[in-house]
Amino acid sequence: MGIKHFCGSTDHAISRRGFLGTAAAVGTAAFADMTGLEWLSSPALAGELKKQQKRVILLWLAGGASQLETWDPKPGAATGGPFRSIKTAMPGVHISELMPKMADRMKHTLIIRSLNTKNADHGGGAKLMMRGRRDEANVKFPDLGAVVAREMGRADSKVPDYVTFYTQTEGRGMAPGDAGFLGSRFAPMELTTNNMPENIRKIDGMTELDHQQRADLRDLLSQQFAQGRTSPTLGSQNEAYQRVRGLMSSEALFDVTKESDKVRDLYGRGQFGEQCLIARRLIEAGVPFVRVARAWWDSHGQNFETHQEMVPELDYVMAALVDDLKDRSLLEHTLIITLAEFGRTPGINPSLGRDHFASAWSCSLTGCGIKPGVYGKTDATGNKVAEGEVDAAKLFATIYSALGINPHKNYYLGSRPVPLVEPGTDPIIEVLA
Amino acid sequence: MRSVRLALPAFLLAACVARADLLPDNRPIPEAIDHYVDAKLTKSAITPAPQADDYTLIRRLTLDLVGRIPTPAETRSFVESTDPAKREKLVDRLMASPGFVRHQANQFEAMLAGPNNRGGGNGLRDYLTRALGENRPWDQIFRELLLPDESDPKTKGSSDFLRSRVADIDRVTIDTSIIFFGVNVSCAQCHDHPLVSDWKQDHFYGMKSFFSRTFDNGGFLAEREYGLVRFKPTKGPERQAKMMFLTGTAVNAPGLKEPTKDEEKKEREKFEQFKKDKKAPPPPSFSARAKLVEVALQSKEAEFFSRAIANRLWHRFLGYGLVMPLDQMHSENKPSHPELLEWLARDVSSHKYDLRRVIRGIVLSKAYSRSSKWTGDTIPGPGLFAVGRLKALTPMQMATSLRIATSDPQAFESGKPEEFEKRIEGLESAARGFAGSFAQPTDDFQIGVSEALLFSNGDKIAREYLADGNDRLLARVKAANDPDKAIDLAVRSVLCRPPTPEEQRALKEYIGRRSDRLSEAYRQVIWALISGSEFRFNY
Repeated sequence: MGIKHFCGSTDHAISRRGFLGTAAAVGTAAFADMTGLEWLSSPALAGELKKQQKRVILLWLAGGASQLETWDPKPGAATGGPFRSIKTAMPGVHISELMPKMADRMKHTLIIRSLNTKNADHGGGAKLMMRGRRDEANVKFPDLGAVVAREMGRADSKVPDYVTFYTQTEGRGMAPGDAGFLGSRFAPMELTTNNMPENIRKIDGMTELDHQQRADLRDLLSQQFAQGRTSPTLGSQNEAYQRVRGLMSSEALFDVTKESDKVRDLYGRGQFGEQCLIARRLIEAGVPFVRVARAWWDSHGQNFETHQEMVPELDYVMAALVDDLKDRSLLEHTLIITLAEFGRTPGINPSLGRDHFASAWSCSLTGCGIKPGVYGKTDATGNKVAEGEVDAAKLFATIYSALGINPHKNYYLGSRPVPLVEPGTDPIIEVLA
Repeated sequence: MRSVRLALPAFLLAACVARADLLPDNRPIPEAIDHYVDAKLTKSAITPAPQADDYTLIRRLTLDLVGRIPTPAETRSFVESTDPAKREKLVDRLMASPGFVRHQANQFEAMLAGPNNRGGGNGLRDYLTRALGENRPWDQIFRELLLPDESDPKTKGSSDFLRSRVADIDRVTIDTSIIFFGVNVSCAQCHDHPLVSDWKQDHFYGMKSFFSRTFDNGGFLAEREYGLVRFKPTKGPERQAKMMFLTGTAVNAPGLKEPTKDEEKKEREKFEQFKKDKKAPPPPSFSARAKLVEVALQSKEAEFFSRAIANRLWHRFLGYGLVMPLDQMHSENKPSHPELLEWLARDVSSHKYDLRRVIRGIVLSKAYSRSSKWTGDTIPGPGLFAVGRLKALTPMQMATSLRIATSDPQAFESGKPEEFEKRIEGLESAARGFAGSFAQPTDDFQIGVSEALLFSNGDKIAREYLADGNDRLLARVKAANDPDKAIDLAVRSVLCRPPTPEEQRALKEYIGRRSDRLSEAYRQVIWALISGSEFRFNY
């Protein structure tokens, strides 16, 4: 089963054949030590990759960023807070003055202002917004990253399929990356303490050659064992070991010092900016899904100071990402999502904070052919969705469709078909290319 | 109180083989197993794989029965023995050892944790260790898990099964049905099962009715006298669920009416008092949960219970169920060997649900001890049991076996049997932490890159398992002072067999190229052995 199980679509089969064919022409030596980046340096391959391989960078605003101080300002309303709204490059679309750089780049971004996801609890909301659906008593659903890893990842990939940065502690335990029933093959590489993944760096006291030959010896012994034996687990184990060297060579992808000062300055030298720069390096090398979580948005007190400090960072980092991806012709194949477990109440509490709010909030989708502008509308105070309500299932159907994944595709749990999104849910057709 | 069968459970009869046609019940279990498995192989014109060799057999039995690989001394003594009853003697020795109880407790703990790995923990494992140590019958364990008496030290910890789920009665309903009856009614929560005509919404809500009065009262399990489950069927008006078992057997229970305001108030006050006193409330005069246990173990209804445990034990030892998946035991998913499942289910229920008896019977069958290597063209389907199936090691099997494999083998050779047992127990406890690095295998288990990275670059593997200390395999291998002997020792310790000539050659060459750093060379060889596929599986 092994590889077949992993990659069922004919698109991928074609892509892999193309990949192997071209590599063979270059020569086996090139194949043996090819990292994702070197692979991209072949223009023919990069072209094919760009055509078929969609990728996702999810900016996860943990704790719940305020829609009123970002994508859906209500200046002048009792609930509006102190900040103004500003014009954007999209005629008629205004966003918070805290996001001037994204205002200039609104020609690339779709704001969805009509999320009603009903769950205003950190844990439940985070699970829902990472999966697009609720777990059933005996079905643990995979999250977006794991589904994208499953659909877009390649069995022979030299890079991880799903990377998640979550360095701050707020809400981390509530929204770990989770492959659910897809199993550990699609579990994320999680980075929680620094920007370098665990066990990716060669163990001390061993030469590169010994490390490689030791792995070859392991493979030799394991190949003998595999004769006359077959099992999906056996296949996955050997596949996992075969990916070790490639993953180790992707160590450089996690190293921002490989970028020019100019690019590094574009993203800024803060942790969030650096992680987003790494995310760009990763998706450029073929990683299908990267999440960068930025926490401390849970502003029950001092909401305006919090957002005054944090939104500008989100603004310039996101703008850097958009510019950088555009320069590299990657934006049309990469979907940048800003999302959280929920938004914040229009009502301002006595501590000048805003509380949890899931009935009328915003997210944004950028790139991957998504039509820019605004979808949906809240009422004058921001308390209710006035137009174009979108629930978690509809949002996920839209995301999957933008990535070229049929949202009604079934996975099978035993004989039970499990559709990717809640049955009967359609994507927002109007925003899809 | 009266149980009435409301509808004839046609599917139950259909799924069932007439017991009168089965092999007599006094046949030894292995004989009955091989009779049915061989009959199907003959019918399918398939010659099964030969029996596994002694090296493979002792490794398989030791992993399955006591949760670890055998030591080189154990392997040697089994392989060299010419006693025709050596297999039975090995099985009996392993099953009499404390390691058997500990390993089965781990296995049952994982099974009770269910598909989503819920509950469990030290309390439940301690309970299982006690219960399995006394060889308590499976029906008694079922009763103690569902009707825990939190004041009885004998059953302490058994309440964890319910307590870890009680906040969500749907979960209790679904997990209980899956674990004890092999039936997944979760689809029927929202609609009659689309594929399986057996499972209607009435079944889900019928089963839920037995649990709906159970709740957490200040850290103690409690059950109310009242409580109805109402549900909205996909068609028609909302209705009240019957207390109904999976067979369709319904229970006429008192209290199938809403309590009056006054009764409700009184009950609430009673439970508040227990909460204040921090005491376990006594069971109600009519316990719906107790009724479920009673009904489920009635002779006809118990077929679900006995078939489910027979199928689960078969799956545990053969790596594949007679019915797959394990939670899909219904009329539209026939067993691969219907008669065998019936025979085993009858055997287990007519011998007081004695788990040891079934386990011993299964592991002494020829079907259990076939080689896992297929030499023909197409590997026959798993439901034929024509060839041994690979079972990924569980986290505890893996971590304990790693400790044994990388210890100086001589450490296991001296001393009395009690000392040996103590030493093994010590290794097991020391392994528990590291076991957390591995995932519990499921049927379509996939090993992820994090495990491969952990072995390849993890500090812990290098420091704890491949260290050079006196009590380590590496030190002993180096001391051999002869590459052939060193290789032989390393392979026997880790893989529980002598090296093949090709392995001997390849490893010798590998070491020969590193004559300037022999210690490193041997360390790398041991690494390649512990990280390889053969070590990772019970094959």
